[in-house]
Amino acid sequence: MGFLDIRNVTKSYGQVEVLHRVDIAVEEGEFLVLVGPSGCGKSTLLNMIAGLEAITGGEIAIKDRVINGVHPSKRNIAMVFQSYALYPNMTVGQNMTFGLEMHGVPKPERDKALVSVAKLLQIDHLLDRKPGQLSGGQRQRVAMGRALVRNPDVFLFDEPLSNLDAKLRVDMRTEIKKLHHNLKTTIVYVTHDQIEAMTLSTRIAVMNKGHVQQLGTPKEIYDTPANVFVATFMGSPAMNIVPATLVIEGGRPQAAVTDAEGQVRHLRFSQPGLAAWEGKPILLGIRPEAITDPEGADRKSGNIVALRNRVTVTEPAGADTFVTMTLSGKDAIARMRADANVVAGQAFDFAVNMEKAVAFDPATEERIA
Amino acid sequence: MAATEADFRTKLQDWLPKLVLAPSFAVTLLFVYGFILFTVVLSFTGSKMLPRYDWVGFENYQKLFALPAWNTALVNIAIFATLYIVICTLIGLMLAIFLDQKIRGEGMLRPIYLYPMALSFIVTGTAWKWFLDPGIGLQRIMQQWGWESFTFTWIKDGEMALYTIVIAAVWQTSGFVMAMFLAGLRGIDNEILKAAQIDGASNWQLYRRIVIPLLRPAFLSAFVILSHLAIKSYDLVIALTGGGPGRATEMPATFMYSYTFTRNQMGIGASSAVIMLMTIAAIMVPYLYAELKEKKA
Amino acid sequence: MSAVTQDTAVSTGRATRVFLYLILILFALFYLLPLYVMGVNSLKPLPEITGGNMMALPQTWTLDPWRSAWSTAQIGVEPTGLRPYFLNSILMVVPAVAISTIVGALNGYVLTKWRFRGDTWVFGLMLFSCFIPFQIILIPMAVVLGKLGLAGSVPGLILVHVVYGIGFTTLYFRNYYASFPTELIRAAQIDGAGFFRIFWRILLPVSGPIAVVSVIWQFTNIWNDFLFGVSFGGTSQPMTVALNNLVQSSTGVKEYNVHFAGAILAALPTLFVYIVAGRYFVRGLMAGSVKG
Repeated sequence: MGFLDIRNVTKSYGQVEVLHRVDIAVEEGEFLVLVGPSGCGKSTLLNMIAGLEAITGGEIAIKDRVINGVHPSKRNIAMVFQSYALYPNMTVGQNMTFGLEMHGVPKPERDKALVSVAKLLQIDHLLDRKPGQLSGGQRQRVAMGRALVRNPDVFLFDEPLSNLDAKLRVDMRTEIKKLHHNLKTTIVYVTHDQIEAMTLSTRIAVMNKGHVQQLGTPKEIYDTPANVFVATFMGSPAMNIVPATLVIEGGRPQAAVTDAEGQVRHLRFSQPGLAAWEGKPILLGIRPEAITDPEGADRKSGNIVALRNRVTVTEPAGADTFVTMTLSGKDAIARMRADANVVAGQAFDFAVNMEKAVAFDPATEERIA
Repeated sequence: MAATEADFRTKLQDWLPKLVLAPSFAVTLLFVYGFILFTVVLSFTGSKMLPRYDWVGFENYQKLFALPAWNTALVNIAIFATLYIVICTLIGLMLAIFLDQKIRGEGMLRPIYLYPMALSFIVTGTAWKWFLDPGIGLQRIMQQWGWESFTFTWIKDGEMALYTIVIAAVWQTSGFVMAMFLAGLRGIDNEILKAAQIDGASNWQLYRRIVIPLLRPAFLSAFVILSHLAIKSYDLVIALTGGGPGRATEMPATFMYSYTFTRNQMGIGASSAVIMLMTIAAIMVPYLYAELKEKKA
Repeated sequence: MSAVTQDTAVSTGRATRVFLYLILILFALFYLLPLYVMGVNSLKPLPEITGGNMMALPQTWTLDPWRSAWSTAQIGVEPTGLRPYFLNSILMVVPAVAISTIVGALNGYVLTKWRFRGDTWVFGLMLFSCFIPFQIILIPMAVVLGKLGLAGSVPGLILVHVVYGIGFTTLYFRNYYASFPTELIRAAQIDGAGFFRIFWRILLPVSGPIAVVSVIWQFTNIWNDFLFGVSFGGTSQPMTVALNNLVQSSTGVKEYNVHFAGAILAALPTLFVYIVAGRYFVRGLMAGSVKG
């Protein structure tokens, strides 16, 4: 039994079920990120935890208290909104203490909480300003301050960084991570940005079409995605998904793919237990960073397979160079060191780290190895 | 105990919004839709001075359309509404386009064009009644200024009096139509105009081919508002001509009032009101429906 | 409509511009003409109108027509001037405007921030009530006011104006609050503010502009109303009805100068509002016409 329990929760609008049986137990101090494309139901789930949308089925409990139907203000939660939702007519200080005031906390206590949180977030010099006079980053801090002042059981973040420019977003991301590290608060955080999800979370729930596709630590999600959706949604550039046929050679399962010239190439799996798939089509999943030049290959890997193939395009991106090739008729991307000597149109010897490769059932798109 | 109280307060919070809206909605249902129903019912009764509930079927409607006064009113409203809408739209569009040419003093001109909209139709009627009066107004002014043969007796002339109402009504609302078109013009993306000029459009072509078609929503709004104002026109007619001379400027609105309250033909008055409502509804309902639909999407 | 002017891409020649200004100024004169006629002739003794030229400035300036219109002119059968009717109008307008604006604000708040199934229908029904020809409700209203004992009284007129005004005020506040971020309401809910507290502390402080629009619109409409006044005014007739009685009276000499002074008196309050807050007046007109 967790600190925040989401048990079999569903949400319907009329006849349409938009969230199907979500079951997540969040431990105290955990940083859970709900990630998925827009319309996947992640914000709906967050709003249900907050009490802003009714729960159709199942129940949500905080510290073993079922909160279905409890007014948002009585759930002891705080929320940071995408637009920050600062009251335009109040000063920063009034914004941050409004919740305490509504809960009948006496002024001296409110002021004490305000001062300590304002110091923590370095916004103590802004307390008399109106939200309209603040920069984006400052508003973001005030919005977080408003949540912190309440000292709630659970913090809810609804895409809090999506309105910031790229640089500020990275800074604030670090800031939130630091805050969580220092305060050990329980956080549920919604985003569509998979990098935010990877960097911030202790656990991730990847959602799509109202289903939780996979729940796990960032490493589990990244290395062993439950299905093709999770594999391609998490990671940038996305994981290469290449149609292949499974063959057994020398007692080891191998993925048979064709190169740019139509030649069949075999890529040996590290995983055992694919015997049942012999002769059948599968989908081979390889992350771009698992395809390199031979010098750049992971030395610790016990299963580097050489693959000679023609290079279609090279895209130098500063730190890395992305190289596109054709595998089984599909584009596949390799992530090389910046100084790898690759020329478009010529054949190149790639090194494929098959320890990191996964395989999916082409019919169900579920991972089979 | 505390939990049930909290639940009650939470439930109350859920109901409060509907409770707050309920009186307005109830009042609307009763005073608008209930009353409409009541009037519709009356239009099928033989009510004279007071409401009665003897069912007479379509008799009132038959009588109504046989009455010369009602037919005059229909012809009048058709002429008046057409002229009023067309002239207001033309003047409004012209003034808006002219004002949009970086006119110095636009800030002065706009309020002058618009102020009549703030006046009561009774005030407008009074001002124009005496200004158009041949004895003291325009005709005499011109003659005194030396144009001896100038005559302008429309307001006393059964054939022409209707057009004086058009003049006063146009005076009152054309500035408003100007404001609607000006807002429409200012909402057009300037880059479209620049692109058209680069394509070699002359000013005239620019307006005829690009700008005026883009003002379609403003035309629609102007049409709806003006037709609605035209059908409701009562005050102005009363103040300017009182429906006369004779019956020359009778309108459905004045007809309804006099048949109901002074001639004690309530059933016929009610049926004329129903016809007016149906006419306005035919214009307003599709318009409002489209507006609300758009909002939802 | 805001006063923002944008650079029109259209360029015009010198001759064209002279023509533009000429037309624009001609129309300005057309719109100002009745105001000039009323003003000038309300300051003349009557013989200067009947025997002189309406466009001419007064030879002897006099305030007598104004005094007469205000306090001694014959209205109907009583020589009371327009003063008591002006008072009736004030007594009617102030509560009617206040009530309809407050109700409209609450309705707009509910319809945008506490949406429920069928709210668009509720709003649609209320909105349509703005556009009915009021002839359709005259008879039942007369009956109901009689039954309530409010016929011919100021409270009766207040009731009528509130009932048929809330459609518009609701429209204004609804459209205004629609652009107000709903996240703020949610934040306030989490902060523990209830329905009325959110309205009072979060929404109302930012409702200034639309409240002005609503008040001005209602004020202008109710002050200028004639149909309800003449139908239900009884002994508490408003200014417009009294003015019409003054002008239409068929007995005695037609005192044009007094009529003009009376007309200006009836127009003054709305003109004043227009001059002080014309920007909001226009915005109200536009909101009432272009609902998009």
